[in-house]
Amino acid sequence: MAKLIVDGNEIEVPAEFTILQACEEAGAEVPRFCFHERLSIAGNCRMCLVEVKGSPKPVASCAMSVRDLRPGPNGEPPVVNTRTPLVKKAREGVMEFLLINHPLDCPICDQGGECDLQDQAMAYGVDSSRFAENKRAVEDKYIGPLVRTSMNRCIHCTRCVRFTTEVAGVPDLGAIGRGEDMEITTYLEHAMRSELQGNVIDLCPVGALTSKPYSFKARPWELAKTESIDVMDALGSAIRVDSRGREVMRFLPRVNEFINEEWISDKTRFVWDGLRTQRLDRPYVRENGRLRPASWNEAFATIASKVGATKSERIGAIVGDLAAVEETFALKLLMESLGVASIDCRQDGTRLDPTLGRATYVFNSTIAGIEDADAVLLVGTNPRKEAPVLNARIRKGWRQMRTPIGVIGENVDLTYDYAYLGAGPQTLADLAAGKGAFFEVLSKAERPLIIVGQGALTREDGLAVLATAAKLAKAVGAVGEGWNGFSVLHTAAARVGALDLGFTPKADGLDVAGMLAPGALDVLFLLGADEIDVPEGVFVVYQGTHGDRGAHRADVILPGAAYTEKSGIYVNTEGRPQLANRAVFPPGEAREDWAILRALSDVLGKRLPFDSLAALREQLFAAYPHLAAIGEIAPADPAALEALAGKGGALSEAPFASPIVDFYLTNPVARASAVMAECSALASGALKQAAE
Amino acid sequence: MIATNWQDRGPLTPFAPPRRRFSFGAAARRSWTSGEEAVIFARDFAASHQRPQPMQRESALKNFLLQFFTWWSGQTLGTRFYTWRNGEFVGEDEFGNKYYRTRGGRKDPALGIERRWVIYNGEAEASMTPPGWNGWLHHTVDVPPTQEDYKPREWQKPHRPNYTGTPKAYRPAGSTLASGRRPQATGDYQAWSPGS
Repeated sequence: MAKLIVDGNEIEVPAEFTILQACEEAGAEVPRFCFHERLSIAGNCRMCLVEVKGSPKPVASCAMSVRDLRPGPNGEPPVVNTRTPLVKKAREGVMEFLLINHPLDCPICDQGGECDLQDQAMAYGVDSSRFAENKRAVEDKYIGPLVRTSMNRCIHCTRCVRFTTEVAGVPDLGAIGRGEDMEITTYLEHAMRSELQGNVIDLCPVGALTSKPYSFKARPWELAKTESIDVMDALGSAIRVDSRGREVMRFLPRVNEFINEEWISDKTRFVWDGLRTQRLDRPYVRENGRLRPASWNEAFATIASKVGATKSERIGAIVGDLAAVEETFALKLLMESLGVASIDCRQDGTRLDPTLGRATYVFNSTIAGIEDADAVLLVGTNPRKEAPVLNARIRKGWRQMRTPIGVIGENVDLTYDYAYLGAGPQTLADLAAGKGAFFEVLSKAERPLIIVGQGALTREDGLAVLATAAKLAKAVGAVGEGWNGFSVLHTAAARVGALDLGFTPKADGLDVAGMLAPGALDVLFLLGADEIDVPEGVFVVYQGTHGDRGAHRADVILPGAAYTEKSGIYVNTEGRPQLANRAVFPPGEAREDWAILRALSDVLGKRLPFDSLAALREQLFAAYPHLAAIGEIAPADPAALEALAGKGGALSEAPFASPIVDFYLTNPVARASAVMAECSALASGALKQAAE
Repeated sequence: MIATNWQDRGPLTPFAPPRRRFSFGAAARRSWTSGEEAVIFARDFAASHQRPQPMQRESALKNFLLQFFTWWSGQTLGTRFYTWRNGEFVGEDEFGNKYYRTRGGRKDPALGIERRWVIYNGEAEASMTPPGWNGWLHHTVDVPPTQEDYKPREWQKPHRPNYTGTPKAYRPAGSTLASGRRPQATGDYQAWSPGS
């Protein structure tokens, strides 16, 4: 710890703090453009100048650490001033230089209203220009379908360059030229190849990099902001939903140090146009092979007559990937009251089983714990595709501590170096038996982390693979006091919540594969389940938001609410329940999903015992108390892993393959989005790029 | 009421309501946004424009009191006296407003030209003067419309006063005040249909 005096207040900060951080600690606000807490220090904007006693010139506070400050002649603590006339004059000078080449196009700039330069010019700008020459003109660059460039506005803070190289791990952005002639570019005018590229829009302190799909759509001050949770992957990233009227205009990240820091993936950020296309806005009933619009009563009556004529063992229910806990709970109660045993939430066929214990299906180490791990093994997962923000965490640990990383599965570019161990379960079995150099790495590590992906579990031998991984975890000491390094990475936002509720087949019930076998069922209830193919001859009730695979197959469609249109609890892959809030209302006659199930239960004569969301939650929390602690992880009992490790089973030879074929098109919302379709076409090489 | 606004407006009363003719009286106490009452008020409003001559005998006392206490009921006592002393009747429009000028076209010392004014039939509302008379009042023309034989074209609509603030006010399509019902919002999402 080091002592220093900031604006007359003596404070004590860690010696590795920069002066800027120390000033923040002391409550003094320091303007900055290039400095960012999560990026390396560049020190090139010079906006953070402060006066240090004894220094002949103002000092860039972001680039000088407290430890480098010299004490006074009699050992007094160093003195830093942030409000002297010298500091103000210095910053005004910097601002004037920055504005020399910055265009005066705030009225037509998308950053207007949320622009750092605009805000700081209010404090340090001068009211007139002394610059009579022409401003610099820079050609706009094409860097992909998501980020619009307006390079005249660039002030060369290089935050975008540092983000792409350090956090995203792709060397796509760089700077050419020097001084005034410096330009940010991808060199060859190709699209950025990162799943996190949208974050440069937030990082850019001016309007040089703005959102292309959102461009000229809205102004920040006319948007209603709702803090919510993302469901595009199983991380549950913290997002802010910006809406105007009934439309979601954009998604922005919120800071959540435990999950997404302040990054979100491109799918999370740009999927909003999918929320307004292909929407189911009224009930439909199939008549003579064709779906026709119907009223809610007609739809319910059709379901009731069909369900009434069907035996309960011929009825099934499948929960999809985007369902909140509330409607899963309502559907479970409804199916229980109907005596239905064939219920399942694992539409991808993963072999996870909640009866084995909660520790066997959650990300026990927690996402923040990835940084603490000193060795990482990825089994059958491609985190870059399955959870890009989590991949950035792994990369962060790798960059800062050179964490050794091993991969069993696909040999793909994960943005960091890793030891490729093998493709299939045999490698894992060898490792668990203590063979191979990476076993030494794992067993020497104090906190080894084993991440098992869905690619290893959505197979016939999934449970055996899980057991082998648990065996390995036990062998290398990954499960112990204060550290549980056995982690399952999910791909569906609804999965852990539904597993927590036990939405899996009861005794003599069928799982997803059994339900989808031809002739197995007569009535199938799909709660937003679109990733499956239902055979002919089944009466399908589809409750969902988008006209996707499930709606096309359905016999009755019940329009529900998307994740921005309802208040719902989602449990992320760590087992952390989080509350998503409603930003807009469902379109047309669509209703919140729990309310649909409540109304349907009345028609079926099995009235569910709640009339409001609050009453539903009361019962939900009474039955599953850990869900009531929003934002808190209920620790899972690692003893379940002991039992799991004892399980055996035959392992097949087939290599692990990630369940995510196309990162941009994993759910009905993303498949309805034109932006996601363009990204997908670009990623698969089907779309010609601008430079060609 | 004298058309030039710097002229004496008669005695000021401390109870003068806001200067909109519909903001007082029994009708104003009803909400004019609700459907049935709006009709009732519209009728009252129309009737106020076809009010019998203010000088009729049975309401002479009422007229005197109105002219004594208010400035918005046709004319004040001061204007009435000024008109009796100096006014020369020029003509009357289709609404019953009467137009005067200084007798014999005598120059008003304050203006340098003859003074012209109107005494409204009913409430004093400047937009009640039709365009022909408006032109004469403002010295745009010297020949009053009654001495001209101007035939309106068939596409010319009859003059209407400013209806702002009344039930007849213009309401844009989509305003809940126009029909009492908000039209179905469309265009903020694209619905799925089974055919596509």
